[in-house]
Parts: sequence; C-alpha cells; structure tokens
Amino acid sequence: MNTLIIEMKQIIKKYYIGQPNELQILNGIDLNVSEGEFISIVGESGSGKSTLMNLIGALDRPTSGRYLLEGQDISQMRDKQLSEVRNQRIGFVFQNFCLVPRTNALRNVEIPLMYAGMSRKARRERAEELLEMVGMKDRMKHKPNELSGGQNQRVAIARAMSNDPAIILADEPTGALDSKTGRLVMDLFHKLHKEKNKTIVLITHSPELARETQRIVTISDGSIFADSGILPHTEQEKGSGK
Amino acid sequence: MGFLECIRLSFGNIRVNKLRSFLTMLGIIIGISSVITITTIGNSMKLTISNTMNDLGGANMIYGYLDASYPEDEKDWETWVYPELTEQDRISDEMIEQYKESFSDEVSHVIVSEPMESGKAVHGENYANVDMSGISAGYLDSAKIEILQGRNITEQDCQLKKHACVVSDLFVKYYFQGQEINPIGQEILIDTDSGTSFHGVIAGVYKYDAARFGGNFGSKTAEKDRSTTVFLPVSTAKQFNQSQQGYETIQIMASPGTDASDLSSRTIEYFNDLYSNNPNWNFQCQDMASELNVISQVLDVITIAIAVIAAISLLVGGIGVMNIMLVSIIERTKEIGIRKALGAKNSSIRTQFLTEAIVICLIGGTIGILIGIANGFLIAKAAVALGSQMAADYMDILTITVQPSMTAILVSVFFSMLIGILFGYYPANRAAKMSPIDALRYE
Repeated sequence: MNTLIIEMKQIIKKYYIGQPNELQILNGIDLNVSEGEFISIVGESGSGKSTLMNLIGALDRPTSGRYLLEGQDISQMRDKQLSEVRNQRIGFVFQNFCLVPRTNALRNVEIPLMYAGMSRKARRERAEELLEMVGMKDRMKHKPNELSGGQNQRVAIARAMSNDPAIILADEPTGALDSKTGRLVMDLFHKLHKEKNKTIVLITHSPELARETQRIVTISDGSIFADSGILPHTEQEKGSGK
Repeated sequence: MGFLECIRLSFGNIRVNKLRSFLTMLGIIIGISSVITITTIGNSMKLTISNTMNDLGGANMIYGYLDASYPEDEKDWETWVYPELTEQDRISDEMIEQYKESFSDEVSHVIVSEPMESGKAVHGENYANVDMSGISAGYLDSAKIEILQGRNITEQDCQLKKHACVVSDLFVKYYFQGQEINPIGQEILIDTDSGTSFHGVIAGVYKYDAARFGGNFGSKTAEKDRSTTVFLPVSTAKQFNQSQQGYETIQIMASPGTDASDLSSRTIEYFNDLYSNNPNWNFQCQDMASELNVISQVLDVITIAIAVIAAISLLVGGIGVMNIMLVSIIERTKEIGIRKALGAKNSSIRTQFLTEAIVICLIGGTIGILIGIANGFLIAKAAVALGSQMAADYMDILTITVQPSMTAILVSVFFSMLIGILFGYYPANRAAKMSPIDALRYE
C-alpha cells in the first residue's frame, strides 16, 4: 500500500461563525489520498468543492477536524507555516492561470523558488529546466499577455512543479481553454503523473475530464456523495507508462 | 526573500508603472527640493558672508579699544562724568611691542592708525580729492589692499617719521592726467581743509576699490571727484596732527589658524593687567569671528524655520505616497493572492510593498536633492545678476560661494526614507494581511 499524502478526518468548515448568517460549507469530510494517485473531485457549483480545494491547498484552515498532509497536521498551523507548506508541498494550477502580469514566464516560474530562498543562478537554471519540460523554453522571455491560454497554463504547470511538491492541485485547469489546448494540458498532467509519479488532485465539474483520472470523488452539499475508489481501467494504464 | 530581491522587485514594479510612480514621487520631489533649495541658499549666504569677510581680512581681525570704566553702583551714575583720555591712559608703542612679543605665535600684526583731515592735492590744472590716514606697517597687507606699484608703508617709515605716501591709482590717474610720468618718487602737496599743507613723496600706488573706499559716495559721485585715501606712516601723521602719543584703538591681526575669539579674550586679560591700576579706563576687544558667529546663527535659525515650513509639503507628499500605495495594492490584489498561494509569507509581502514605498521615496528624494541644488545655483546666479545692476561696486568684493548644506542633504535622504516607512507601512501591512483566498478570487 502506498503512503498517505492527504488524510482528512471529519473536516468541517463554517463561515461567519457566531453570526446570524453562519454558514456551514463542509459537513465532515473524510478523505484519504495516497502517493501517486490522480484523483478528481467533482461537484456542482456551491457543492463545497472550492472550499475543499482551499483546505487541501493549505490556503485556509478547517473550522474543525484534522488534516494531515504527509503526516503533518495542517489544521492547527499558523499563517507563516501554511505559507511554507504551500511553497514547498503544494503546486497550484488555476483555471485562469494566475500568472503575475507584466512578468515573463521565466520570472513567474522563479517566484516559488525565490520564496523558497534559492539563489538567483540556481533558480534560473531550475526554471529553465521546468519550462523545457512543458515545452515553453523558447518562449520563456514572453509575458503572460504575449502568450496563448494553453501556453500560459503550461507555464503555470511548470511553476506548480518548481519546488517538487507533494500534490499538484489543479482547479478547473482546462476551464478557460478550448478543447484542443485543454487536451494538451490534460496530457501534460498525465505525463507528470506517469513519469514523475506526482499526486494530482483535479477539481472539475466536467464528468468527462473526471473519467480520465484514477479515482472520482463527488461532493454534494458539503459531503462526499460518492467515491469511486481506484478505477480498474486506470490502474492498468498507470502501470503501462508511455 | 532577501533584501536585494525586494529592491529588484521594487525597481521592476516602478519601471512597469512609470507614470504612476512618477506622480507618487512628485510630492516628495517638490518637498525635498524646496527644503534643499532653501538650505542651499541659507548655507551659501552664510559662506558668502564669512568668505567675503575672510577675504577682506575680517575673520582674523580683533578690534581692541579703550573703554571708560563705568560705575558699578547705580547710584554713582548721577555723579559720574566720562573721563578724559590722557596721554598716560593711551595704549603706548611699548605696550604693543611687549604684547607682540608675548603673543608672537598667534599675532601677525598689530595695526594702529591716526585719522587725519581730508584735503585736496592740486597739480597745475589737475587735482585729486584725498582723505589722509596715518597707518602702521602691515595695515594695507592685512586689509588686503593691493599695491600696484612701488612699495608699502614700512616699519622704517614709521620709525623715521618719513613723509612717504601710498596713493590710489585713481589719485595717480587724475593728479597726473595727461602726463606720462612714473608717479613713484614724485612730490605732492596736499592742502588740508583747515588750511595747512602736507608735503609728501609717493612711495607706492594701491588699487582703489570703490566698494571698500567709496561706499559713502555711492556710484553717483563722478570718479574724478571721488576722495581717495592717502596713506602715510602713523608717526608722521601724529607729528603732523600734533596729537598725543599712544593709541585709543588698535587692530590685532591673528596669525592664520589662530582661534580669534580665544585670542581676543586672552588679549583682554593681558591688557587689563596693564590697566588694573587705571581707575578710568579699561581695555575691550571685539572680534569679527564672534560677530560672524552671531550672523551665522541668525541665518541658521531663519533657514531652519523656512525649511520646516517647506518640510510640510513633504508631509503632503508622504500622504500622496500612501494614497498611491493603497490604490496600488488594490490594483495588485490578484498578484498578492498569487504570491501568497505560491508561498509568500505575510512578512514577504509587507517587505515587498514597504521596500517599494521606500525606493519610490528615495528616488523622489534624490531627484528632489538634485533639483534643489540646481535651484540654489540658479537663484545665486540670479542674485548676482540682480546685484550687479543694483550695487555693482559691492559685487566685486563679494566672494560668492554656493554650496549645498551636507547636513540638509543627509537629513533629506533620511527623511525620504522615513516617509517611505511611515506612509508605506500601512498599505504594506494591509497587503500582507489579505486573505489569500479572497485575493485570488479578486478580479
């Protein structure tokens, strides 16, 4: 059995605590994800999947419950420690790319490395290497507004990989792309999964995309409605490689 | 994230938003440049005054004089009469010689003079108006009066009571008008206003300086009719005046590098020892260095007062910086969210924005300092131009010195940094405390 990367127990998230409009978004989520899984979290908008993503990504703390990331308890961490976790262990890929504007691809990929305290020379080398991996090395001096959506998303994936994170957390990564470039991006995730054995959590509302992953977790009304477990056809695919 | 990293990021952001950055700096530029302009002008005025005084021999000069001993008790004032100065009371040549020996390291000259009548020297159809003045050797040197031809009044002239005269170039010009003649060695006859005559021989010619000698004539008196001074040995003058021996006033020239104020007080002690038994008179000194100090202090106070008023505009500039920084963090909310998601700590974000504010203020401050210095020079130029029109004679003797005040520059740099910190902290802190989720969602 693979080691557990994500271990969530009875995660509850409430907003406006103690106020008349108190709102409970997550009603006790239990979720375990093992190393090397490619899992998708699906749900309608308002189901709580974004809130769950924020928690998995250490952007927020649960109101109650326990969340262990690689055995580390995230739920009680201070802001500063959460920043370190995000920097070192999480690679974010967003729907709208979230590249820093007016800053070229190379510098964007360097940002997490800079916050990790890497020297200028070392992080430039690392960033170039990552951009080469996603096929963007020849455009590394381009700024986000000079690149297409698909290209921007590839830069964002390179950036997500920069500190060799435990999880890649992709929030609707193809949502802003046409089907052809969306396909390219999905292929890139598959490649990372197979070649680098990365744990990937894909948040999406698209059943087709979800079907490409090994395991589908469906969220509804703040609870896990269904968990497919590791799907047999993907298990086979995983072993075959490319 | 290192400090250098922050500075690099700041410059990047400033470059990306050139216009906005410039507008932010504008307040700081105006504030700092006004402060620097004012302090440069103040500092330059001070230096001009003291350098001019130095060039005229003022800073090393101590003016010593006999002062009546006033009654200490108030009730004695009613019966007190101003004492008469007798020959015994006066400062004698021996006293001066002994003083010079005692202070030989610190005193270069002790100068005495004897005022004389004015008169007219007539030479055929030509004439020259003169004021006569008896002086001791070294007087002309100390007063930095330039000898153009011939020689100065010497110790020997004084000892031998020679009738050697040092006249002005203006005197030569009009006295010998139309004649090609070497004035040195020529005999002159001066008819004084009271009807006596003085026979003299021209020993030297000095350069007439309207500002120094002709001040009370202004520039309106025709040059030909201006009265210039004829210098002769003080002993000769005393003999001609049939006046008492000894002097009521002396001028002490301190050697270069001597603290004139200090020498002044020790000179007072020295002479008052000699006058300790004199019931009516005592010795007092005034030194230019102390007077200059007073002027400097007054100028300093005025400069600081105006600079403080100008510094208020710095405050306004600082508020401008805060304003723009606040707008800037709202505009860059998304970026802040991204950076936080990528692992920026609150402190990294705070440092980044604070550094940006400080860098903006420092750039603004530097530009302000440069503009301020340039303003100082421009205003000095304008003042010289204006001065030349209004008081041309005086401009020649002014030693114009334009120099920005280093203290003001250092204080300004420090202040621009302080403004950056003060007015940058609040926006930077707001940026730092943004929730990464909200910031990421911001469009």
